[in-house]
Amino acid sequence: MDELPIPADAISAELEDLVFAGLPATRRSFLRAAGFGVGVAAVAGCSRAPVQKAIPHLTPPESIVPGRAYAIASTCAGCSAACGVLATCRDGRPVKLEGNPEHPLSRGGLCAVGQAELLSLYDSQRLDGARDREGGIGWDQADQLVVAELARIRADGGRVRLLTGTVHSPSTRAVIGRLLASLPDAAHVQYDAASTSAILDAHARSHGQRILPRYFFEQAQVVASFDADFLGTWISPVEHAAGWRQARDPEAEPPRMSTVVQFEGRLSLTGTRADRRVRIAPWETEPALARLVERLGVLAGGRAPSASAGRAETATLEEVDAVAGLLWQHRGAALVVAGAADGVAQDLVNRANVLLGAYGRTLDVERPSLQKRGDERALEQLRQELAAGAVDLLLVAGCNPVYELPDSEDLLAGLSATAMVIACSPSLDETAAAAHLVLPEPHSLESWGDAEPVAGFCTLQQPTAPPLRSARTLRATLARWMGDARGDRELLQAHWESELFARQDAIGSPAAFFAAALSRGFAELAPQPVPGAEAAAPAPAGSAFVAPADLVLVLHPQIAIPDGRHAHNPWLQELPDPVSKVAWDNCASVSPATARELGLRAGDVVRLNAGERAIELPAWVQTGQHDRVVAVALGYGRAGTDRFADVGPEWLQARATVESGGTIGENAAPLVARTAAGRVFAGAAVTVEKTGRRVELACSQDHHTLEVPAHLAPKGGEVRDPARELAFAAWQADPEHALHRGHHAPGEGELWAADHENDGPRWGLAVDLAACTGCSACVIACQAENNVPVVGKDEVRRHREMHWLRIDRYFEGAEGEERVHHQPMMCQHCDHAPCETVCPVLATVHSASGLNQQVYNRCVGTRYCANNCPYKVRRFNWFDYAHDDALENLALNPDVTVRSRGVMEKCSMCVQRIQEARSEARRRGEKVEDGAIRTACQQSCPTQAIVFGDHADPAGRMARLAASHRAYGVLDELGVAPSVRYLAGMNNDPLAPARAGHAETGGGHG
Amino acid sequence: MAEIHAPAVRPPTILGDKTLGGITSDVFAPLDRRPTRLWWWAFLSAAAALLLGTVCVGYQIMVGIGTWGLNRTVGWAFDITNFVFWVGIGHAGTLISAVLLLFRQRWRTSINRSAEAMTIFAVMCAGLFPVIHMGRPWLAFWVFPYPNARGPLWVNWRSPLLWDVFAIGTYFTISLVFWYIGLLPDLGTLRERARGLRKKVFGWLSLGWDGSARTWARYEVACVLLAALATPLVVSVHSVVSSDFATAILPGWHTTVFPPYFVVGAVFSGFAMVLMLMLIARKVMHLEDYMTMRHVHAMCKVIVFTGSIVGLAYGTELFMAWYSGNPYEKFAFANRMRGPFGWAYGVMVFCNVIAPQLLWFRKVRWSLGAVFLITILVNVGMWFERFVIIVSSLHRDFLPSAWTGYVPTWIELGTLLGSFGLFFTLFLLFCRFLPMIAASEIKAVVASERHHAPVAEGVAAEGVTTENVAAECETVEAAA
Amino acid sequence: MAEGRTTGAFVLVTLAFGSITLVATADIRLPGNHRGYAPEQPIAFSHRQHAGELKIDCQYCHYAASKSPNAGIPPTGLCMNCHAHVSAGFDAVLEEREAAEAEGRDPRRIVSPEIAKLYAALGLDDDLDPVPGAEPRPVEWIRVHDLADFVYFDHRPHMATGVACQTCHGPVQGMERIRQETALSMGWCLDCHRKSPAFRPGEPLPDLTAPLRYRHHVSTDCATCHF
Repeated sequence: MDELPIPADAISAELEDLVFAGLPATRRSFLRAAGFGVGVAAVAGCSRAPVQKAIPHLTPPESIVPGRAYAIASTCAGCSAACGVLATCRDGRPVKLEGNPEHPLSRGGLCAVGQAELLSLYDSQRLDGARDREGGIGWDQADQLVVAELARIRADGGRVRLLTGTVHSPSTRAVIGRLLASLPDAAHVQYDAASTSAILDAHARSHGQRILPRYFFEQAQVVASFDADFLGTWISPVEHAAGWRQARDPEAEPPRMSTVVQFEGRLSLTGTRADRRVRIAPWETEPALARLVERLGVLAGGRAPSASAGRAETATLEEVDAVAGLLWQHRGAALVVAGAADGVAQDLVNRANVLLGAYGRTLDVERPSLQKRGDERALEQLRQELAAGAVDLLLVAGCNPVYELPDSEDLLAGLSATAMVIACSPSLDETAAAAHLVLPEPHSLESWGDAEPVAGFCTLQQPTAPPLRSARTLRATLARWMGDARGDRELLQAHWESELFARQDAIGSPAAFFAAALSRGFAELAPQPVPGAEAAAPAPAGSAFVAPADLVLVLHPQIAIPDGRHAHNPWLQELPDPVSKVAWDNCASVSPATARELGLRAGDVVRLNAGERAIELPAWVQTGQHDRVVAVALGYGRAGTDRFADVGPEWLQARATVESGGTIGENAAPLVARTAAGRVFAGAAVTVEKTGRRVELACSQDHHTLEVPAHLAPKGGEVRDPARELAFAAWQADPEHALHRGHHAPGEGELWAADHENDGPRWGLAVDLAACTGCSACVIACQAENNVPVVGKDEVRRHREMHWLRIDRYFEGAEGEERVHHQPMMCQHCDHAPCETVCPVLATVHSASGLNQQVYNRCVGTRYCANNCPYKVRRFNWFDYAHDDALENLALNPDVTVRSRGVMEKCSMCVQRIQEARSEARRRGEKVEDGAIRTACQQSCPTQAIVFGDHADPAGRMARLAASHRAYGVLDELGVAPSVRYLAGMNNDPLAPARAGHAETGGGHG
Repeated sequence: MAEIHAPAVRPPTILGDKTLGGITSDVFAPLDRRPTRLWWWAFLSAAAALLLGTVCVGYQIMVGIGTWGLNRTVGWAFDITNFVFWVGIGHAGTLISAVLLLFRQRWRTSINRSAEAMTIFAVMCAGLFPVIHMGRPWLAFWVFPYPNARGPLWVNWRSPLLWDVFAIGTYFTISLVFWYIGLLPDLGTLRERARGLRKKVFGWLSLGWDGSARTWARYEVACVLLAALATPLVVSVHSVVSSDFATAILPGWHTTVFPPYFVVGAVFSGFAMVLMLMLIARKVMHLEDYMTMRHVHAMCKVIVFTGSIVGLAYGTELFMAWYSGNPYEKFAFANRMRGPFGWAYGVMVFCNVIAPQLLWFRKVRWSLGAVFLITILVNVGMWFERFVIIVSSLHRDFLPSAWTGYVPTWIELGTLLGSFGLFFTLFLLFCRFLPMIAASEIKAVVASERHHAPVAEGVAAEGVTTENVAAECETVEAAA
Repeated sequence: MAEGRTTGAFVLVTLAFGSITLVATADIRLPGNHRGYAPEQPIAFSHRQHAGELKIDCQYCHYAASKSPNAGIPPTGLCMNCHAHVSAGFDAVLEEREAAEAEGRDPRRIVSPEIAKLYAALGLDDDLDPVPGAEPRPVEWIRVHDLADFVYFDHRPHMATGVACQTCHGPVQGMERIRQETALSMGWCLDCHRKSPAFRPGEPLPDLTAPLRYRHHVSTDCATCHF
């Protein structure tokens, strides 16, 4: 994990070839050659495959062993949460990103977006070198232009504005500060695509400091969340999920289990995992919160100002009262959060948290979060300035306002009225296209950087590969304009060794301090005093929520595509949304009742009219959603996403993923409502009209419930129980029998003796459904680790997605009151594997250590194994999947074969990692330690829901979990003896003891 | 000799009071004539279908299995359906020639030749699909156990697919040999009638057949031995094929009734196909005297009998599903009948169970049109039977999350059509170039049915003499 | 017909004999078997001289063998550890020295043509001074021992259990030009794996009573090499 300066010659010849020369032969093309070649070669006798060169390093690079992977500690730049990553590198380039277990925020987890950052490094459409409107120009020329302009402004005044996303890099902030100071009228405006500005403003009012508190879900016994998707997309999901998991561990002694009550209109990921879920319309949020504060006030003995409850349903208010009681009962360990971008609501939240004594316990303002610093009012002001043409130089960095903000036409007009617009963006996005100068920023994996996501906690980001593009960070760019020609690394190190070093006293020397930070990836410092809110935010002028409407809009970030930045990442585009299971599209979700009312079916293209704005989207029927809500995901409809037009195979009846000129999904940003207090994402009235057109959405799951269709349901077989859930109360009362097993225990009634002798270890997985949030980080981790191809929308439509690890999502129960189950489903590595007996050529066989092996090079592709697999986890290569993007191929894992057309593939339990660990152990003459092997899915899981281990080692963590009373095997009753054990989910809803029996699923006989 | 005499109650097997010479000319005449216009039409359309199929298969092998409508859950559909269908069609031939020979059903003699030919062509069609359904057909040879440099790496003897390889292989070989041996006497006759190159070719083909009593005797023994060899195959082949499904764990596949159920189904569809072709042939080739109503009736009886057994099998499946108490099993059949593919189940039941029952009625049996229609229905129904078993069981199995649908692509339809093209192309060529009725055997029947009536003139010319006809009768006795 | 039969018999017999003899003699090999492959290398490096005569340990150059799946081709710079000083064969140097003594002058520096190529690759002239404008490039050797891409061979366990390099690479110390000595086919690997007892340091001794196919020999699982 040491800092590894990458010597130019440490780049493997492969890398050079790929980056600087043309296309090489990929593994697969070799395989095909071998396959087709048989006949030819037989004739040609002993003709050798094309001559392979073996090109060594020029000089032996120290601390790099050829052929061995090494890890570089860095920081994820996928979003502003700044999780810690360990970049696994081979031959001078990263091939996999993993969570950094020592990182105090992300604690080893890394979300799907973070995982996918790897692929965006190798994005062939990233800009190369500075450019103006005509095209590429030299960096020097660009600098001269800007420096001249700045000089002019310094001389005879002028407005300079810096518009960025949240900048939490201390070194960059320092440089920005210096630039602003050097200019007469300059300001730095920050905003976040998914804004939390209202929370900061509320704290400016309540605490006199414009800060975003840091939330400690690990401390929270009861969480009341109003439309805050903290497990999915809210502020710092990985950190929150890790905390949430820490507060919920049924295996702990004594069992820990917090309660999350989710009030929301759409069905968010957090909603799917909430112990209790209350469907409320956006306009009910504020009155509900008011009622909550009132109740808490009463409970606290004081008299709280009674708020108008006019707009809230009585049922909602009753729920609120109950929840208030529960919160009060756990005061000190209770937390109220709200995602609403609404001042009034956030003020109420703060008051509630004060009443509950949450500050200092479940949320921290001493060491606040700096992950989101957006200021909507400043943005609004800038917008007016731009509209007035009052800005002389606008620098846009780390954001894409033209795409992300509503009224982009006005914005564009404003930009054209500005003398000089500079965009620092890695690709030619909507904003860059309108800029005079585009100064591409490098990818976080090829450049130096740092971040301070939480006050007093700084992380480092270091290059894992030589720059693949000619680009420059904002830091270096600004420094250069101020005549400071130092490189990124120097600037960074200087800042750390001076400013940051001064903020700690653990390490004596600056150099040592920096070195330590490099190897750990982060450093803990004294928090900087947060400046008092300069002009304390004015009290919000009433709630931003509109009055009750027939239908209201809820615009939300998607798990896979949290904002437009990631729309160019095929891995994320093909990742089915954890809730709807739809990939390659955003849609207008309506509840089943509303769909019936409007006569809508999934796939009907509808026009959404909000005010004078309108967009057309395919409809999606989402159970669990409030009947008055139309939910649309933001982040889609990015320009240039028609690059995916030809992703996936080409054949007679193939349909393009997106027609050229079109976009993947539609941009919903124009529908975002604007108030004086900034953007409002929920509550705007909307009308839905059918266009009469239909599209077929790419949904990876056809049947969404555990119940089989009623008219086909046999008696006693109405509900199937692959995914099971227990009520926490029932579990505590009687752990042994809490889990209803509708079937005879596995192994019982065996006809044959075990036909596979075991040699030492018997590998297996334990998957804790009580911990799984369905966030799908594991899916992308698996895709990255195992070279799983992207197949495109049409193939997903045809149910030919290739993901080795999928997450089954089931609804259960009455419409609207569903419980939601997320179940990671991968090859179960059965001891009596049905797939093994049927393969005519022994292409899938059992290993001595209990693995079900798939041998691609032996497979002839009869697909019999897949037919006979009760879990349907086998994936067939229907076509040759595109691997002709030479640059993108650098993301391929060299330790895993790229499969050819016509062969079967499936989860191998990351056997390449097992082999690596065993070889290393062998080399050192040691035993493989429990926990030494971690599968890709396990490694990335923010909640450690997946544990790999050895069934034959009862002391091992996995074996202990597998012995839990919650443990069961999916379809155990078939006697296939799966090596993957699932631990039943857990639902802790003290408000509904009645549900104790009901909550535990699969009452029926699966 | 008593049973050699056709009982008086029975109408003669062959009508029209044929002389042996007459038989020869009737049977061999078509081969000398130029092909009729009707034949050309039939042949060209068959060839066109074959061409289409070839193109589809070629495209699929070039581009990938993805050109079929399959998905992660439905891994087999048209491919294996066609495979099982054609294997089934192949069954009648062996049954007629082998079993009926052993049971000395004399009426078989008019149809066994074409039935056997049909078997061979059907098995050829069937054999095609296991190969092209592979993801990497160019490696199909891996299913054979042969010494190799990989360890050596053997095949998986536990896999039903491997059993198929051997079952089908054996079946094809035996059928081919049996058919060819049966052809020898007629090839001899052809040789005598032909001149020039044709004479030479038939000379080779007839392996130097001389009508001597010794040759006849050995010929008869060979036939009976081969018949004895072939008989178990009638049962084995489709039992093995059925284990492709029976040994799987899939609800709807995993059932012990499959072997008998498949065998009977095969005979059922096979006879329907034979009868269908026979009806066409006797009309086109004017062979009414040889393929008489008696033959039609006999075959109708077999069809209605086997059809009823198939119906019973369907019933048994449903009963077992209910009786098993296994929710997956129950659901599988509920879904089969009333799920997305319920319509296919309906077609299957109507064509295979209801339609053939009409054959109980004499009137229906007498109307060739009706019989012809029923035979077609049965073939359609039997194709759908396999489709229903395969697709409706696969598409909704254990985990609801994995449930999908299935829609065939044009490539698949083209391939199905192509297999019919192949079949009929071969069959029409056979009609053109080989006697589609075993003349020699017919003569034996005619002769014996006539109490050794004086042989008409013009027979000696063809090396068929009273002696060897008599000798044949003797050997038949001996064999029996 | 009779002569036809004899011709047939004759043809069959010849075919049979022909194929048997062809297969027996190793001239025809199955595709993928590259035994004896010994391409000309950019520099005529002699393993015989280095490993054989000079007895340089294999792992001095292929230093990764014991700690990495790949033994590794030695970095071109590594050669210079010696060849900064050794620029020609010993006898050539002697000759020059004698010649020099005879002529009463200082011996000139002799650089053998092959070693000159090495210097050239590193952008140095014969006196090891950088050639202006010459960019050092690693020597591009021709790969000899090359397994199919779907095979993952790991040197570490083999080194750890004391398998000699020669077991797979043949008598390299005797090879003037490196040559693939063994078939490196799956059968060839398995042959050895089946014979070798499975003793793993740190792991319990194999239970000798258990069925042969799993216990006695080292792993023959497919996933040992194919993943």
